[in-house]
Amino acid sequence: MIEVRELTKRFGRTVAVDGLTFHVKPGRVTGFLGPNGAGKSTTMRVVLGLDRPASGEALVSGRRYDRIRHPMREVGALLDAGAVQGGRTPLAHLSWMARANRIGRDRVVSVIEQVGLAGVARKRIAGFSLGMRQRLGIAAALLGDPAVLLLDEPVNGLDPDGVRWIRDLLRGLAAEGRTVLLSSHLMSEMELTADHLVIIGRGRLIADTPMRELTAVRDVLVRSSRAADLAAALSAAGGTVTAEDGGGLSVRGLDPTEIGDLAARHAIPLHEVTPRGASLEETYMRLTAELTGGGADR
Amino acid sequence: MIDALAAEWLKLRTLRSTSVVLGVVGVVVALMALLAWYAVHLWEGLPPGQRDRLEVSSLPELANWLASLCLAVLGVLACSGEYGTGMIRTTFTVLPSRGRVLAAKAGVVAVVSFCTGLAAVLATWAAGRLIIGYRPIRGQSAEALSRQMPLFLALSLSIAMFALLGLCLAAITRSAVAAIATLVAVWYVLPIIVNNVPAPWNERIGSILPGALAGQLAGTGNPQSLGGELLSPLAALAVMVAWVAVPYALAAVLLARRDA
Repeated sequence: MIEVRELTKRFGRTVAVDGLTFHVKPGRVTGFLGPNGAGKSTTMRVVLGLDRPASGEALVSGRRYDRIRHPMREVGALLDAGAVQGGRTPLAHLSWMARANRIGRDRVVSVIEQVGLAGVARKRIAGFSLGMRQRLGIAAALLGDPAVLLLDEPVNGLDPDGVRWIRDLLRGLAAEGRTVLLSSHLMSEMELTADHLVIIGRGRLIADTPMRELTAVRDVLVRSSRAADLAAALSAAGGTVTAEDGGGLSVRGLDPTEIGDLAARHAIPLHEVTPRGASLEETYMRLTAELTGGGADR
Repeated sequence: MIDALAAEWLKLRTLRSTSVVLGVVGVVVALMALLAWYAVHLWEGLPPGQRDRLEVSSLPELANWLASLCLAVLGVLACSGEYGTGMIRTTFTVLPSRGRVLAAKAGVVAVVSFCTGLAAVLATWAAGRLIIGYRPIRGQSAEALSRQMPLFLALSLSIAMFALLGLCLAAITRSAVAAIATLVAVWYVLPIIVNNVPAPWNERIGSILPGALAGQLAGTGNPQSLGGELLSPLAALAVMVAWVAVPYALAAVLLARRDA
């Protein structure tokens, strides 16, 4: 559980986070979205005790991060996969973290295997690709087997296999009852991974809602060789039918089952019945449209 | 605190610059041996009446001076490298108590620099003894190790002071360039300026400059440096501690206040 309450953070005269309140609950993947400069990274840094808020607070499992004795055992974080010193090996990089939080050495070896870096555990990080660094960052986040995970853009630089691996990993971790907060710019990826979304813009909350409400079914696309007869039947049954370019019908007010049964009763052949939802990208664009014109602040 | 110390020790040990710096200290000792060999060569080439004219700087002190430079850089890099890469944020998420991180870094750097400094000075002394032998070359002390040990320990403490000063300057400035520039200014530029201050202030200020403290602490004075020699050993030790404690306090306050 992550609780952000009335959080405000300023950099000089710029307000990066402005009275932000939201909770991240366990057992699901919460996506953290917002345009560049919306305050996502700043919020994550405040949660991790790296930045001091001007007012408000951020609590992890009911406590301020810097009051937790062995924080890696309760909170795993990946902020910037590039922020490692290249001269070290993954083994050395994870070993000092493990030592600092009294995590066993066997755990270091097992997370290295889990993220698929076993073959390069003793190679210098300097030669790693961005994708390998992301895997190392995720290994660090998982090191303490934490109940809460915060990941800032973890799929950056990963190949399709890696993207899928992270998706399955995060969904698995949430299914185990952990709290997962994930920020990403990749809407299609977010749509597949997150169960719940927190969207912010200019440091303020825009939406805090389950994914399925943002991507709810909007209409059903129907095609038939007897489109006119079908349209009449659907209208009679209470549907709102609009003809589309290309001969399809957009139907609102009836679900695919009702449409199929109705067509069968009238012996009208159906060529296509497709429920259509708004994509997350469309909804996100609509929600943040009024913000993007104003230029980016931090 | 033990966890933080162990973690910082692991970090320093696996930092590439650490092995480079320690390698350079090894090279310094080898150079000192070469210098001793060359001095012997020169001394033997002179007719016995003129051998008194040859004077060679005290090799252990020369080794100390070069090792101080190396370990001050090590102190700087033990902190600035993390700011350069952004890893300092990882460090502070792993160990949220910033005061503890600074203390652990300081502890590790102090021990490493003192031990390395002492090893370099002793190795230079031993090499010099083996190579120079009985020859009474001016500038080279022929006294027993037990008589020279106070000076060697004072020199090693001074190395630790420079390394810690480097570490604190890096934590304050968050930049290797700024930290090393400041260090060089305090170490080399300041004595030159102070030397031109009218008497008696040149010697008064010169006595508290970091480079002048080891000699005063050991009670041997500073025969070859610009520094003064007005302080008692105890006062020299106190000033040495102050050269670390003041920047350390400033670094601790800044670390606690600033966003990482």
